[in-house]
Amino acid sequence: MSLSRRGFITRLAPGRDAHAAALIAARGREALVAESLYREVGELVPPTGKEIRISSNENPLGPGQHALDAITGKFPEAGRYPFNSTPNEGKLVEAVAQKFGVKAENVVMGAGSGEILTNAVRAFTSPSRPLVTAWPSFENPHTTAEKIGTPIKEIPLDAQLRIDIPKMLAAVKGAGLVFFCNPNNPTATVHGAAAVADFVKAVRRESPETVILIDEAYHDYVTDPSYTSAVELAMTTPNVFVARTFSKAYGMAGLRIGYGIGQAAVIKELARYKMPYNVSVPGIAAAMASLKNQAHIDQERARNTEVRSFTVRAFEQMGYTATDSQANFVFVDLKRPAKEFRNAVAQHGVIVGRDFPPYEKTHCRISIGTMDEMQRAVEVFKKVLAPARTTSQQ
Amino acid sequence: MSLSRRRFVQTLGVGAAGAWIGARGREASLFSLEQPLSAAERMIILSSNENPLGPGQAVLDAVKGAYGVAGRYPFSTVGDVTRAVAELHKVKPENVLLGTGSTQILRTCTHVFTSKERALATALPAYEECSQYAALIGAPVRGVSLDSNFYMDLGALHKAAVGSGLVFYCNPNNPVATAVDGKSTREFIERVLRDSPQTTILVDEAYFHYATLPGYETMIPLAVENPRVVVARTFSKAGGMAGLRIGYAIGHPQTIRKMAEWDATGSVNALALAAAHASVTQDPSVWAAEARRNNEARAFTMKWFSDRGYKPTDSQTNFLFVNVKRPAKEFREACRAQGVLVARDFPPFEKTHCRISIGTMEEMRKAVEVFGKVLGAPAITAAA
Repeated sequence: MSLSRRGFITRLAPGRDAHAAALIAARGREALVAESLYREVGELVPPTGKEIRISSNENPLGPGQHALDAITGKFPEAGRYPFNSTPNEGKLVEAVAQKFGVKAENVVMGAGSGEILTNAVRAFTSPSRPLVTAWPSFENPHTTAEKIGTPIKEIPLDAQLRIDIPKMLAAVKGAGLVFFCNPNNPTATVHGAAAVADFVKAVRRESPETVILIDEAYHDYVTDPSYTSAVELAMTTPNVFVARTFSKAYGMAGLRIGYGIGQAAVIKELARYKMPYNVSVPGIAAAMASLKNQAHIDQERARNTEVRSFTVRAFEQMGYTATDSQANFVFVDLKRPAKEFRNAVAQHGVIVGRDFPPYEKTHCRISIGTMDEMQRAVEVFKKVLAPARTTSQQ
Repeated sequence: MSLSRRRFVQTLGVGAAGAWIGARGREASLFSLEQPLSAAERMIILSSNENPLGPGQAVLDAVKGAYGVAGRYPFSTVGDVTRAVAELHKVKPENVLLGTGSTQILRTCTHVFTSKERALATALPAYEECSQYAALIGAPVRGVSLDSNFYMDLGALHKAAVGSGLVFYCNPNNPVATAVDGKSTREFIERVLRDSPQTTILVDEAYFHYATLPGYETMIPLAVENPRVVVARTFSKAGGMAGLRIGYAIGHPQTIRKMAEWDATGSVNALALAAAHASVTQDPSVWAAEARRNNEARAFTMKWFSDRGYKPTDSQTNFLFVNVKRPAKEFREACRAQGVLVARDFPPFEKTHCRISIGTMEEMRKAVEVFGKVLGAPAITAAA
């Protein structure tokens, strides 16, 4: 362990060291920065309890009432394992399968899609079969690869901060796993159906042993008409699978439920690493109730679209450009270090996203809260942001 | 609602009615008499060592209290619950690691301490999670038979432990229900630590609250001092929260950090965290009451079997391991046909023994009637 890391750990509050240190260690190099920033941010945020949390791409409205009612309905079975509850964990798999018109063997559940991503790296990569990932992208596969000694090929984004497909293609030969986050976190950009299909075809030609993981965590927030989910592509293409989650539009980040969907062979291999009984009894109920309520998700997409537009416009009016956001967060060129902006808004009770190298010197990721929250946040942003700079820092 | 319907719901009994409500959802045909209860809803479930009463109202109220944060990642709550668990055991937060059930803890320990070159040593049978994970990662498993009284054979286990990566010390043991006293356990641990410097010992105390064996002790004090001893605990048994998915490890900060580096608490859900916090801050009398409840029903059931010549082991848990003198499969299927679910096969005893969990006293009274019918019939297959 480097001296700086050790020094950082000893600065933590007594009694919290190992836990925080563990989280840091678990979430990897970038998260080391993240945790230290939350420490800094935590100390800056006024203790009113009214902070605006727009740092983690959560749905501010949480699960729908239908989901909460379903959870309450399971209280009599809180003491039963998920395989003994009614409905049991198998029924959740069937419900997900039914949503996509596939079979149970095409679906595997995870404790959050985080477990799916981690298991994918374990199942499909090794010291001789690298991980290929855009960078920056969602950190989970990168962190897991580091832990297990898998080499990582980081592919820089293109000029529009999208996944650079040609560059990625050039790196896939012999890879164990390609991580294709669409929409991409943290840059919020998306590739259309044709581009994704062409990419998959090309990988299949170039490196048929390579598994392609398409992370569609933000699928429900996409409004770009050229986008289509890759689930059908995955069902018709060997070695391709899609990760989805209940943490975003479904508003259940706290319940830890995600899944992978693909052909039976790739799902079976992925499922070997699945933690038993990983979705809780209340989680099963909440997820199943939510799967039945597409109208709720459509409403959530509409709500997010409106607030997202408001937020992007507000930044534009201040002179700052965001990427074309197809998710529930924006990635804005603030022309100053994210840390500076983040700490400044924290003092006004607004918590925004962590650093995303190599863009942390200019860009910040800001999640989309409620309209009221974003209106209040924008007032804080206005206070904190000087007019757009073209020269050196003040 | 007509008077007759209300009476119908009451006669089901709280647990069964609750299960029915839960399964059907509050809105849908709660009081419809047309739809019969499904098989699972009518069953007496004695297959999985669950606490039939669940976690209790205070805990469920805390779960409801967490609804407002169900949409948020629970990272900060993990710290709060870690501290509360630490306080309960009078250790420090850096001695505690939460997990998605002790399932996660057992898997993490196996991952960190075993490999293709470092075997897992375990009694056989013992709870299967570590062995199954070892198989996943290609770690060899050294299985050690129990002695003739269904106790862990500590001499043989010590032999297998030397040179291994991890010893899985399940105490009380699942599925055979017996326990080893504190003195013998400490001596075993000290011998292994002395004779095998690279070996870690994982003490699984899932059934701690139910053990009444004189001299039975927790190994938590040893674990916090020694990086090579880890204790696993769960909220799934006496805690009544098998469905919520939360457990923890207690160990030396170095070991806890090593385990967290592999797999920290990102998968533990917010409802489980709220429940666990409520559970560990309850009055300790709640735990004692649950132990009393179980142990009464356990004694009743053990006596029932013994009186009829079917020998149960000396159960220190919330289940029995009984010599039913026929294959477990046969017994299980016959019981299932009459509405009682008992446990899966546990080689090498599946030709004669069955594991049966302890439900409520009312459930056990009903269950033994079924057992009586099933056992009254002569064994179809001769025991090996």
